[in-house]
Amino acid sequence: MNIKTKKMLVTIMLVKMTLILPTLTLAVPNAPDINVSAVGSQVIVNFDPVTGATGYKLYYAPYPELSPLKSMDLGTATSYKTTLATEDYYAVAVTSYDDSSESTLSNIDVASLNESLSGGETTLADASTHAFSSPAPNLDEAGLEQHLAGDADFEAVFVTAPASVNGGLGPVFNQTSCEGCHPKDGRGAPPEEGGEFDTMFLRLSTPGKDSTTGGPVAVEGFGTQLFQKSIFGMQSHADVTVTYTEESKTFADGKPYSLRTPHYNVKPYIDLPDDVMFSPRVAPAVFGRGLLEAIPESTILALADENDADGDGISGKANYVWHPVEKKTVLGRFGLKANNPTLIVQNAGAYHGDIGITSPIFPVDTSTGLPQDDGLQDDPEISMETLENVTFYVQTLSVPARRNTDKAEVRQGQIIFAQAGCGSCHVPTIKTGEFEGVESISNQVIHPYTDMLLHDMGEGLADNRPDFLADGNEWRTPPLWAIGLTEVVHGHTFFLHDGRARNLMEAIMWHGGEAEDAKNYVNNLSETERDALLAFLNSL
Amino acid sequence: MKNKIKNLSLAVALTAISSVSLHAAPPIPAVTVTVEGNTVTAFWNPVIGATGYNLYAAPTPSYSPISKIPMGTETDISVTLAVGDAWAIAVTSEDASGESAYSNIETFTVKSADPADATASRSAIISGTAYNVILATYEELATRASVLANAAAALQFDSSDSNLLTAQNAWRDARNPWEQSEGFLFGPVDTQGLDPALDSWPVNRTDLDAVLSSGNSLTVEFVSALDDTLHGFHTIEYLLFGAANDKTASQLTSREKEYLAASTTLFKNHAEALANAWRSTGENYVNNFATAGQSGSSFVSEEAALQELVNGMIGIVDEVGNGKIADPYSQTSTELVESQFSFNSLLDFENNIRSVENTYLGRYLQNDGPGLSDLVKRNDAALDTEIRNGISNSIDAIQAIPFPFRDAISDTAGRALIEAAQAELSKLQTTLETKLLPNVVNYQ
Repeated sequence: MNIKTKKMLVTIMLVKMTLILPTLTLAVPNAPDINVSAVGSQVIVNFDPVTGATGYKLYYAPYPELSPLKSMDLGTATSYKTTLATEDYYAVAVTSYDDSSESTLSNIDVASLNESLSGGETTLADASTHAFSSPAPNLDEAGLEQHLAGDADFEAVFVTAPASVNGGLGPVFNQTSCEGCHPKDGRGAPPEEGGEFDTMFLRLSTPGKDSTTGGPVAVEGFGTQLFQKSIFGMQSHADVTVTYTEESKTFADGKPYSLRTPHYNVKPYIDLPDDVMFSPRVAPAVFGRGLLEAIPESTILALADENDADGDGISGKANYVWHPVEKKTVLGRFGLKANNPTLIVQNAGAYHGDIGITSPIFPVDTSTGLPQDDGLQDDPEISMETLENVTFYVQTLSVPARRNTDKAEVRQGQIIFAQAGCGSCHVPTIKTGEFEGVESISNQVIHPYTDMLLHDMGEGLADNRPDFLADGNEWRTPPLWAIGLTEVVHGHTFFLHDGRARNLMEAIMWHGGEAEDAKNYVNNLSETERDALLAFLNSL
Repeated sequence: MKNKIKNLSLAVALTAISSVSLHAAPPIPAVTVTVEGNTVTAFWNPVIGATGYNLYAAPTPSYSPISKIPMGTETDISVTLAVGDAWAIAVTSEDASGESAYSNIETFTVKSADPADATASRSAIISGTAYNVILATYEELATRASVLANAAAALQFDSSDSNLLTAQNAWRDARNPWEQSEGFLFGPVDTQGLDPALDSWPVNRTDLDAVLSSGNSLTVEFVSALDDTLHGFHTIEYLLFGAANDKTASQLTSREKEYLAASTTLFKNHAEALANAWRSTGENYVNNFATAGQSGSSFVSEEAALQELVNGMIGIVDEVGNGKIADPYSQTSTELVESQFSFNSLLDFENNIRSVENTYLGRYLQNDGPGLSDLVKRNDAALDTEIRNGISNSIDAIQAIPFPFRDAISDTAGRALIEAAQAELSKLQTTLETKLLPNVVNYQ
């Protein structure tokens, strides 16, 4: 639901409590201070008795929806214990009452069994720089062996053919290895002004839909991806540089912040058509992607509400994209605009485009027939086995556990996250289904904080380049799990599709479109509340 | 002799040598000395065709008398000395043509083992490792990278066999601290892209040949714009040593010498950038790691820093056993051998495990402070012993592989010794993964 409805609920409650007050003025008991903890399959809500109280009431609602709000009378008990299922997630609060009045709500806290286990049984408690690049702990011996084989492939550096080891690079490319763009299986970063485009690239296309795939139309002489690097002696697609413009802004409380917008300068090797469209894409992280692949299609579709039938302002939409092997249109999941159907297709596409390595799925070099064609008959340059191993590797990377979940500030931030409406798209809890061939990611309760759907994020963030069913304003909700470990793993905190946000708060303040209300809610918070929200996000 | 503690009194000189006759061959080894408490370890790289090595030692500051200790085919020695002992040592190699000149001369003083190490806090261990081991290793790399750049510059002026040998040895010397840093490949070496800049593999030989044949001026600026697969250790190695450690000075073309000058300068710049990223007077990452768990550090807790150190150890043991050794062994392919051009592979593997040793013990060269070992020992003495033994057994097993590695992979006896080394590495890895990693976060 939207913010207004939530606020109304709290107002209704307060109004209800006001009406209970008798005509005689009597002291209202204090609200308790609650503490919520989980033991085994139960959660316990605890609080100290309140002077003058004759009883207590428990209020609860599902998290993050915060509705429907229900209550239960606890009598004089100062604790409440109940069994929960692993996927249950509630917001809870308690009031005290006496003969004539009811207190305000206690602190609102969260009740769940396993919210620290962001990846279910694939979770690893690791806060080192290896947090994204460790194997899932629930792999069996054979699985671990395949994972490690894929790990070696992921790190393999390609060089110009002919070569005795790892030949076949390019001839035009963005990077020489998977690891190159996805360091330690994490995300890339944008360059500073004058810097190299090492871990991001620009997609390009001309208007319309490709007659076979229904997707972006390739630009003649280039394709749908700009390759700014080339092997020696070949011409790359373009020199690309970036500049940034700053805009100073203030929160409602007057505290300043600044947003920067990137501007790309493309010097192509041949003229580009006037109607060319670009889309900057920083490499996203690759851990946890198996779990996302294992979410049943029906679960994702159930979260969609393309026409906003429920009137909450959120209209998540599924992307349907071309599957190059099955030769049909299927649900899209991966990529910043959900333009890839499965991980193996994503990986094959990345080998093919980003590195210039052909495989059985994409056997024709990107430069075939173009000036950069190397004329060598060495395709495919990797085998199906390599592709399968790399895919299995990515599918079975562990997800790091949350940190500091018992800190009061984090719990406060968790409630603000829901009150702002962030949870409408950054869905906290999802259950994966049975995934053939990869037992460790099957049937897991996970906390990815994504609905895997496209959302209009407003004019400010638009790339104005449709990608299958995603329009020029739409982006797929990225997962927020492990986002608090970005700094320790990467030494930076650049977020959003082009890395324009230099920290999480800037990323939030760029939200627009369907997220405009949520952004405004954060804009209106006090600094303490903003800090609490950040503390929660950094605990993920 | 195995790498175990021996009571060897160097004062009992076997032979006092006043001069050593010099011959053109064999190549001179490069020696490294580390001091932990009153245990001194010296080790050096094996050289091709050597029938034996000699260790020379003289007390300082007098540098007299010089004692000669024949080492047979051993390439390391570990001794317990008295506190206050101060020595200078060097090594030579011998073959049919005679004895080489002296290696680099290393001096050291034995200080007392600090008893406070045993009770050092986790924070002191993390901080000690950061400064004494990690930062110190990167400083050593930066220093030796500078020597390599100078040696490559000298080659441009005088392309003699002797200058080529000097440059080759400078490459080996620089390789030591780098391989000894691979037990802690985190932080700026990773986030600033310095690992691929310094140590990309494989070398893009097709592009390198094309660059050398081109008319481009081989300035540092031009070379730095090329891909990292044309930079770093192995590109420089390929140019200095040839495809199979058979380069002669007369084979060096002027284009190659220009490329060497530019690429070693770039290499020196990268090594300096790495040290500077950690230095307190630079970007101060050493402080970020040392203050793990405190406000301002990107490491959210001391446990995260301990995990980091142990993950690093596991990572390199895994890579040596299951990658660097396993891949060429399983496919019997010299093409897959890293550092194949200089025949330096076995020393690379040994140095990788010494990196684990340095990290675990909290010592590097003559820096000695609290280390993970102190934490483990007071919580689980048996595990500490198991880890120390695992490390030294792995080093011994690697040293037992016949030199050079690229030949050992196709030789029956060599393959058996390779398998034995893999078994030791696998055992060490299991110990670290199943016993140290899950428990270290709970140790106090």
